[in-house]
Amino acid sequence: MRCSDVERLLPEIIEGIGHPEFQAHLKACPRCAELVADLEFISSEARCLAECDEPPPRVWVNIANQLRSEGLIREPETASAGPALVLARSRRRAAWWLVPVAAAIVAAGAYQLTHHAAQPVTQQAAQPAAQQPAVQPVQPTVQQPPASQAQLAQSAPSVRSGAPSRSPESAVVSAPHAAPNLPEQAEISPPPSAEDEQFLSEVSQGAPNMRATYEDQLRAVNAEIRETQEYIKWHPGDLDARQHLMEAYQQKAMLYQMALDRIQ
Amino acid sequence: METVPRITVVTLALATCLASAALAESKKEYRFTVGPKANVSVDTQFGAISVKPGSYNQVIVSAVLQSDKVEVDTQKRGSRIDIASHLLAGADSQSGRVDYEVLIPPDATLNLRSSTGPLSAERLQGDLSLEGTDAVVDVHNVSNGHVHVRTMRGPVTLTDVRNGHVEISSISGDVTLKSVTGTLVQANSGSGKIFYDGDFGSGGDYKLTTHTGDIMAIVPADASADFSAHSMTGKVQNDIPLAPRHNPSPIVEGRSFFGTVGKAASKVVLRSFSGKIRLKLR
Repeated sequence: MRCSDVERLLPEIIEGIGHPEFQAHLKACPRCAELVADLEFISSEARCLAECDEPPPRVWVNIANQLRSEGLIREPETASAGPALVLARSRRRAAWWLVPVAAAIVAAGAYQLTHHAAQPVTQQAAQPAAQQPAVQPVQPTVQQPPASQAQLAQSAPSVRSGAPSRSPESAVVSAPHAAPNLPEQAEISPPPSAEDEQFLSEVSQGAPNMRATYEDQLRAVNAEIRETQEYIKWHPGDLDARQHLMEAYQQKAMLYQMALDRIQ
Repeated sequence: METVPRITVVTLALATCLASAALAESKKEYRFTVGPKANVSVDTQFGAISVKPGSYNQVIVSAVLQSDKVEVDTQKRGSRIDIASHLLAGADSQSGRVDYEVLIPPDATLNLRSSTGPLSAERLQGDLSLEGTDAVVDVHNVSNGHVHVRTMRGPVTLTDVRNGHVEISSISGDVTLKSVTGTLVQANSGSGKIFYDGDFGSGGDYKLTTHTGDIMAIVPADASADFSAHSMTGKVQNDIPLAPRHNPSPIVEGRSFFGTVGKAASKVVLRSFSGKIRLKLR
């Protein structure tokens, strides 16, 4: 029996119709064995899916975590109280988590795009006038950050850590035709998120020789996201910047998806 | 006297190695008869895929397998043909490599995927989808179809793509578009550069976007387009005379420009976060 025979007979095999040569082939061919195991798993999980009205809690947890990390929501972490999706047994099954994570990444980006300026403006409004940045979001001519900021982020694979605790003084001394001075920050990469760590772990198992490549690309995409977030902090009304952020999130989702395809 | 046997031994050893390599490599050919609007997919972990037009009712696949640690699986369902490399235990990027040369009906829908590539498609008129992690992607002389390309860091080159619906996305690969026109031409690269050389057609939407990568567009004097260029923190440079138009947002000196040439038939948007943007006359 060849692999093509197995694929041809899969419907019967899944339905439990036995073929004498089939088990022998499965023992000799790990790919077919994995394929059959996956299909059996899908078949069993599909029965559960029929009973589900909404995505598993992990999807909402990921979205909530992403939005919370962006500072866009602040409510207590009620969603995380739900049970996390238990990862499946095999490596290939475990990689399925990448799909909702990738979707969550895009959803988070879309949320930021569509809910522009909501949270940052509120923050600014709460500040005394003297403590606000010397620029207003609706004046593009005075919103350009210093070139050094972009150059730094552009040249360094490791970028400044995300949320700056910018002092009011630094905002006041900002030049009117330049972005506010950014705080002195260490040129260190922030630790990868739990999803990123799991992503890289999956890559290590599925395509170990590609781990370094995916890690580099992930670091680069994350750097783009942080750089854009940093910009948006000072220019919350800049829709173009939010569009760039959305695109960066889409690229990250694409990276996840390409890795998923590769691992499978 | 001693040098002659030594040369002979070396020659024999070399010949043996080459013969072994040649024996390990094998070539297989598959032929499928298909109806109109066939759908052909080729998926390989390692190796090149080259696709050219053949007859209208046949798909011919030539596969060169580098070792017996890889197989080629084929499947035909109606006019849908799926070709995939199947790595066996112990296969690596060399022994698991399969290079494909494929002839398909010119109007067939094509899906190609290879991690290493290169991927190439030429003289086709159907929808094309190409994906490669590190693969160099080259598409030329295609028309009237969708061209979707995704790479992680592989460079993408499209040449002479007419009346297409083009969407290219790369994380860090460079994108080169030469004489690419269509109703929608969209290229996005994070850190890769985007280079466009062409007239932007007559009536399409063109969106070229990068994060840190530079964007350069070279247009002929008779182009007809409405240009918008904006870099958040990078510089923009425009070397062609643009007629002013009403701008939806204020011009930031050195960071953006707007204007039209000709009858402004196509809409061209060049956007970058920190990459430089330059519009140049050919």
